[in-house]
Amino acid sequence: MDTIVNDFTINIATANGTGSQSANLILLQSLFDMGVPVSGKNLFPSNISGLPTWYIVRLSDKGYQAPGDRTHVQVLVNKATWAEDLASLEPGSVVIWNTDSKMPMDRTDVFSYPVPMTKLARSLSPKLAKLVTNIVYVGVLAELLGITDEALHKAVAGQFKGKASAIELNITALELGRNHARENFTKGDPYLVEERPIEQDRFFFEGNEAVALGCIFGGVQLLAWYPITPSSSLAEGIIGWIPRLRTNDEGEATCAVIQAEDELAAAGMVLGAGWAGGRGMTATSGPGISLMQEFIGLAYFAEIPSVFWDVNRVGPSTGLPTRTQQSDLAMLYEGSHGDTQHIVIMPGTVEECFEFGWRAFDISERFQTPVFGLSDLDLGMNRWACEGFTYPDTPMDRGKTIREQDVFEAMENFGRYRDLDGDGIPYRTLPGSGMAPILYRGTGHNPDGVYSEKPDDYFNLMTRLKDKINGARDVLPAPILREEVEGDIGVVYFGSMENTIQEIDDMLEATGIKVSQCRVRSLPIHSEVEAFIRRHKTTIVLEINRDGQLWGILRRELPNDIVGQVHSVAYSDGMPPRARIYADLILETIKEANQ
Amino acid sequence: MSDKPARAIKLNVINEPKENYKGGPSSLCPGCGHDQISNVIINAAWENGIEPHRIAKMSGIGCSSKTPAYYLGQSHGFNTVHGRMPSVTTGAYAINKDLLYLGVSGDGDSASIGIGQLIHAIRRNMDMVYIVENNGVYGLTKGQYSATADIGSKKKKGKANETQPIDLCALAINLGCTFVARSFSGSKKQLTSLIKAAMSHKGFALIDVISPCVTFNNNDESMRSYQYVKENEVTLHMADYIPHFEPVAEIEVPEGHFTDITLHDGSTIRLETISDSHDPSDSMAALTALHQAEVDKKHVTGLLYFDSSKPSLAEDLGLVSTPLLDVDASDLRPSEEMLKQMNSEFLGQ
Repeated sequence: MDTIVNDFTINIATANGTGSQSANLILLQSLFDMGVPVSGKNLFPSNISGLPTWYIVRLSDKGYQAPGDRTHVQVLVNKATWAEDLASLEPGSVVIWNTDSKMPMDRTDVFSYPVPMTKLARSLSPKLAKLVTNIVYVGVLAELLGITDEALHKAVAGQFKGKASAIELNITALELGRNHARENFTKGDPYLVEERPIEQDRFFFEGNEAVALGCIFGGVQLLAWYPITPSSSLAEGIIGWIPRLRTNDEGEATCAVIQAEDELAAAGMVLGAGWAGGRGMTATSGPGISLMQEFIGLAYFAEIPSVFWDVNRVGPSTGLPTRTQQSDLAMLYEGSHGDTQHIVIMPGTVEECFEFGWRAFDISERFQTPVFGLSDLDLGMNRWACEGFTYPDTPMDRGKTIREQDVFEAMENFGRYRDLDGDGIPYRTLPGSGMAPILYRGTGHNPDGVYSEKPDDYFNLMTRLKDKINGARDVLPAPILREEVEGDIGVVYFGSMENTIQEIDDMLEATGIKVSQCRVRSLPIHSEVEAFIRRHKTTIVLEINRDGQLWGILRRELPNDIVGQVHSVAYSDGMPPRARIYADLILETIKEANQ
Repeated sequence: MSDKPARAIKLNVINEPKENYKGGPSSLCPGCGHDQISNVIINAAWENGIEPHRIAKMSGIGCSSKTPAYYLGQSHGFNTVHGRMPSVTTGAYAINKDLLYLGVSGDGDSASIGIGQLIHAIRRNMDMVYIVENNGVYGLTKGQYSATADIGSKKKKGKANETQPIDLCALAINLGCTFVARSFSGSKKQLTSLIKAAMSHKGFALIDVISPCVTFNNNDESMRSYQYVKENEVTLHMADYIPHFEPVAEIEVPEGHFTDITLHDGSTIRLETISDSHDPSDSMAALTALHQAEVDKKHVTGLLYFDSSKPSLAEDLGLVSTPLLDVDASDLRPSEEMLKQMNSEFLGQ
């Protein structure tokens, strides 16, 4: 039988709260350290303990990071999903199963490797049997697939930094699994792991943690937050970095953290910080943004710098709290009642998560307006290969904030909301300065900040706000383009779809269709996006949602003459994007467009 | 030129005329209790010698929340959204803890839509003065009952209120609020002393001020009309404020029994017993007084409860002593070397 090397998907079915996550991360890290291009996805429930969890490890020499279309190697530990997981396997798959589960293993068309995982784990530590069971299957996988002890031991050491007893226990458990496989199995399946040379040093990092570090380097001064999946690890990342990176020798911090009573209060605190002249931010998900709408409108109208990170989960309502989607874009772009328009920046890689983390503050203070960072559960909570973080290439931009009395006195015709430079961005003074104090308000105001219901004042204010945000368009992160010479078909996408696009592209190319790619990284739409669309006969807007939200924004904002050539491919079932589904939908849409 | 010598303008302890503490003209109904409170705020800030630009005026939405436009024109202010002033104030405080945060709110703001934010600001012992201009009705929307309307009280139109009111002072005491007072917009002297004391307090100072709505709730059947409150006010004590810059020894010592409470900035509030003595460190006594007044259909006023032992939000945040606003950029953004080092660590090198 031909072997299949570094090109298959492992699915591990466990229950949450059993400690499988650390075992799965050891598996992932050891493959990574062997130079195998690998990605891991944690499909976990909104629950503390006992509900089904799947961990999907994709090995791909081509560098594909999506979960793949099918499972090749199945590890069965969880009784609850046993029958379903087993039934869904294609013939020829590998099944490594826990015989102590006393569940039927009735497939004869698969490679079956029965392992008494619980018994083996009990023999090592009756107390920790549940936990150890997980590391036992990693040992079995290692033996069957050819994962080296060197890589495993390094991963264990990294996972349990400095905890000697935990390291010892895990290494012994790995041995138990490996020995069981060596003594009892003859390998019949084709799946193998091979070491690959490491050309570029990289490490695994979660998107949320990268945003957190970016915020720390962006000089965040207030984090106000309310816990919500999947953004909590972003806030906790910041809290985790403060002692090392933002605390002086006396143990005093330069960043305040307040866990608010709800998302409304978190947003209010962020506005308070921005109003006082500081860099305030919050991290939340869609339901939190829904609650913050009122403050978002106030920040827009009163022109208060404020940074909001939305780690998108599946909506509407409580939705699927532990699944991924790109469905908050439209809400962010036009958040709050009345005519509004907000700046949104959308990272697609962990490196960008870091960069946009610090950049968000500069943009927000420059334009005196709320800025939304839009990530998602897939990018935020999974580990991605990262080449390292790049130090900010510009000093902190504090915008048109006047702090010095002499500068203020030299100004002519100052008004808090007067457009002195013709760019729609007014100057501001800060509370406590005594310079041009006003009563900030969410009511209509004239250029001096005084309450006004006059038609001209309102109209001019709204027009200036529109101009101001328009002016941000080409200052914001430009799209990333990968263009084919053919130039017939363009694909526009954003955010975490970056991690699936290459596989989709290869699938399309296999059918003879070459497409160019344009990854949008900010709203309002950069002018290069329109130029990209003009260079292609047909453009597909690819999104992980139902309605094609980016497509909707493009349709409304693009000139009429090109609207017709922009088509939507939007699909979401809660899962991280699987390339095949999107590739097929794109092919269908191209066919329809050409009819 | 006039023959009369120009009258010397009276200056406060930092040589500022009272004029510098005033605001724009009020657009509230003539006779509104809120305007009296605005005047008291002006007097209190002036007499306390606070630099006007070092005050931040905070408010929510409603008649009361419009008033920051009518006092302290040299202070920045923020008329935020309905009921959410505490959170905005908390955020501003995290950035600039050296300002005096003076919040003005109403009963709709504080007892209904914003009760959660009020509760949590109290819980954090957020360092601010929080004045509730409490009239029992929604004025701007033309006279609906608020959550503080007294049982049996009847506003100008409609039937009497039969829903249990929320007593903000009792609520605050139960939450461990460190400064809880009730007053009446018509009791100028008492209110001035209480606001001055609140300004000298470190921590959350709540002053619930009964402030009659002359348009919707000043009729004979109302328990928050001028007439009713005047006739049914039970004063716990006479309150005198002695600022830290005036030696206590030079103040005339009252004949009867009194208690001096030293405030955070060294000022004193002197509480002179009227009939029964009230101990403001006794939360049970304060709650009893509030409950008794409710049973008797009276309004008890004075400094109900005071506690200087609790840390305020500032201590809890563990920040550098310089307000974050003035921290150098180099202390906000870690160095390039640090990021290089971290990249290496992530690589396991």
